[in-house]
Amino acid sequence: MSDVTLYHWEPNANSGKPMLALMEKGVPFNSHYLDLLNFDQHDPEYLKINPLGTIPAMTHGDRVLTESTAIMEYVDEAFDGPKLMPSDPQDQWRIRWWMKFMDQWLAPSFSMIGWSVFVGPSVRQKDPDLLKARIDRIPMPERRVAWRKAIYGLFSDAEMAESQRRVGVGIQMLEDALSKREWLASDHYSLADVNGFNLAYALPLSQPHLSNDDLTPNILRWLRAIYARPATKACWAMGKTDMVKRVAILEQEYIA
Amino acid sequence: MSMTLYHGEPNGPSLTVLAALFEKGLDAQLVKIDLAGGARHDLAVAHQAEVGMSIEGEGPVLVVNGEGMTDSVFIACYLDDQGTGPVLRPSEPYARWEMMTWCRQIIERCAPAAAFLGTKAHLATALAALPTETFLAVTAKMQSVDLAQRWSDIRTGTFPDDQQADSETKIAQAVDKVEAQLDGRNWLMGDFSIADLETYAWLAAMVDLVPSAFAGKPQTSAWLARVAVRPSVAKALSMAASGDPRNCWAPGPEINRWG
Repeated sequence: MSDVTLYHWEPNANSGKPMLALMEKGVPFNSHYLDLLNFDQHDPEYLKINPLGTIPAMTHGDRVLTESTAIMEYVDEAFDGPKLMPSDPQDQWRIRWWMKFMDQWLAPSFSMIGWSVFVGPSVRQKDPDLLKARIDRIPMPERRVAWRKAIYGLFSDAEMAESQRRVGVGIQMLEDALSKREWLASDHYSLADVNGFNLAYALPLSQPHLSNDDLTPNILRWLRAIYARPATKACWAMGKTDMVKRVAILEQEYIA
Repeated sequence: MSMTLYHGEPNGPSLTVLAALFEKGLDAQLVKIDLAGGARHDLAVAHQAEVGMSIEGEGPVLVVNGEGMTDSVFIACYLDDQGTGPVLRPSEPYARWEMMTWCRQIIERCAPAAAFLGTKAHLATALAALPTETFLAVTAKMQSVDLAQRWSDIRTGTFPDDQQADSETKIAQAVDKVEAQLDGRNWLMGDFSIADLETYAWLAAMVDLVPSAFAGKPQTSAWLARVAVRPSVAKALSMAASGDPRNCWAPGPEINRWG
């Protein structure tokens, strides 16, 4: 029995970051799956752990931690196992820069598209009164707005176009960075790669016109190298939805 | 190893980095540039993605080994590992998580609000007065299309009422958090840290712009005064070239697009 419990959804985006970091470090943890599509993260029981109702959250003994990227840094520092931050301070700076860029600029754009095409349609057919009640109990006003937009298909054309523009720019930035280095932000496999894989693992499937072996060979090389790691395989095997099974596209040797 | 710090007036992110540098007793070549005039985009490192696409907006750039480093909290973390002065981050992992999470909230919620209010009050008029050709020559150099858009919105006085109200709310929430966190302490994390620098750097100017947020907050007021006279901060503030540095603003991070 571990004294670490992770409250998470699928190995995808924010939930997948601490999942994969823990598994890379070889830290045993109790997995507490919350079904985002069933709004489990806003249940009173979970709000006792994280009153903001965001996932993931992690408990370590009686400590409670939130914010996926900050949790990853904690995991790397608090536990034994392979270091996921290189020792050079300039590398550490670059890793933090890329994680912030992905967390706050690129991922929200991917996520707006993902919520529009997957999350919204997945929950839209539920009972309208139930949905309204579920939205009303979301603690953070920003998340209420986001859920309302996703469920009722309210993202504007301008918002979606701007997200798609950013996805295009971000893909090119990733490709450029990965053409200079083996890994995203340093010469070592690091938290930036764990973070980036969670963002980009399905890229050749979701953005095939922008990312494939011809257009972005370095991104594909990088994604396959991360997917080949035993921790990644074990982590994605914990997924329950078709969404995360998209990772299997990385088994193809050539994606045009 | 030589370092060059290109910085603006000592407010916002430039203040965080200057004070962190002085805290650590580090030697760097200091070069003041006109961030509010777009001078960051003329630097030799401006083409690097980590400079051109920094989501902090017009912040300082530290150049080390030919690489331009941006984003004030992360530069401060880097400096913390270099110098000999007092440590600026807790060493215990959970305490460090608390500090990084605190800074993330300031970066994500408080900084965009402060930049919105600060540029509205102290930059919009000057940008509006620029000849169109001059202004377009500045934004044409920018790698980040959305940063250029923020410049343009400031120049045209595009400050929607809902974002104004939201920004004032976010400042009030940040002050509430500071007041609760201090709870008899001198510094936010117990010991002085990057969290004090970053929080002060964005909030100091808000005392004049959102005075209601600070009313009845004695611990926050005392803390603001305490940070201001800390030698590293006082030294940075004394470098102001144009009166009160709290009135110096350049376009900052964007307000969350999700709502």
